[in-house]
Amino acid sequence: MVRIDFNKLRFLVIDDNTHMRRIVRTLLHGFGAREVYEAEDGASGLEAFTHYVPDLIITDWVMPIFNGLELTQMIRQPGANANPYVAIIMLTGHSEKNRVTAARDAGVTEFLAKPISAKSLYQRIVSAVANPRPFIKTRTYFGPDRRRSTVHNYNGPERRKGGKSDVIRPAPLLDKARSIG
Amino acid sequence: MAKDDTLIQTFADYEVITPAHTLRKAISTEAAAADDDPVARAEAALQDLSSEFSIWMNGECERLAQARAAVQRMGFSRRTKDALFNAAHDIKGEAATFGFPGIAGAARSLCRLIEYAPDPARIPLTLVDQHVDAIRAIYREYARSDAIELAQKLTQRLVEVTDAFLLDANKDRPDILALVMSPPLAPENA
Repeated sequence: MVRIDFNKLRFLVIDDNTHMRRIVRTLLHGFGAREVYEAEDGASGLEAFTHYVPDLIITDWVMPIFNGLELTQMIRQPGANANPYVAIIMLTGHSEKNRVTAARDAGVTEFLAKPISAKSLYQRIVSAVANPRPFIKTRTYFGPDRRRSTVHNYNGPERRKGGKSDVIRPAPLLDKARSIG
Repeated sequence: MAKDDTLIQTFADYEVITPAHTLRKAISTEAAAADDDPVARAEAALQDLSSEFSIWMNGECERLAQARAAVQRMGFSRRTKDALFNAAHDIKGEAATFGFPGIAGAARSLCRLIEYAPDPARIPLTLVDQHVDAIRAIYREYARSDAIELAQKLTQRLVEVTDAFLLDANKDRPDILALVMSPPLAPENA
């Protein structure tokens, strides 16, 4: 397995439950992380995201003010903040199919159902760090590619249309958005 | 890494954006020491914290009881319903981590009752009481040798009664019925 230097990563843990924040912080420090910031709801989480510019966010779903899903949607706005591509791990007690799908469609990078374990959290972080997926931008979605693998015998409808065009190396998205505005 | 390392491929109705791999900085090229196991270190750190888990779980059970008392006093409002759901939801997620996995099933059943009832005012308060009392009792009696077995029996009965209520209350809502009956997609212990 790839080895990660956790002390080179900055984490932001967002959860309204103080016990769960302490558990996650304990695990991250155990992995070797030094920089772990915390926020207790979606609003302060968004503020902390802007202030600390974390490499990875670990967020709960159910929180006051606005929840982890809404937080993810606010971060996944190209041009609206410093890093719309930040890795987001949704750590939640929800494990129902419709919830997992909703989290995926909001743009989370990884989904982790509670109860949390050191191994499962470690695996999600390694995946986010070592195997980042490209981002897909459509009229209705902006987030990590939801197709994690190629299904060679897929015979359903093809929802992405159009032949391949040129690869461009654009100006930073933030500058692009500002020039349009 | 500079933002202009981002690559964009434009297609007819979508773009594929490959951002700069900024997290590459944390991928170590050095071989790990034979005895270096970050997961084991984290588990040991969690073990050091575990002496507090029973106190934490007791606090969560008290929080649940207070949320139930608010529902009894004021009925179901957005605020009292959310407080009861959030307390049960936190217990469901924390129970196994805190060393009380037998509590999670009853908490999950209470979450389903609150989440899928079409009208909270129609939720029988007796059924809410039975869930809250069961969760607290399982916690209180957890040291017993037959605690897990008793918790399973209690939970199974709560789930049966809750399912009967939800199936009847949602008989005209097939989309919700499908959710009520569907198993979790994410593995519980992934």
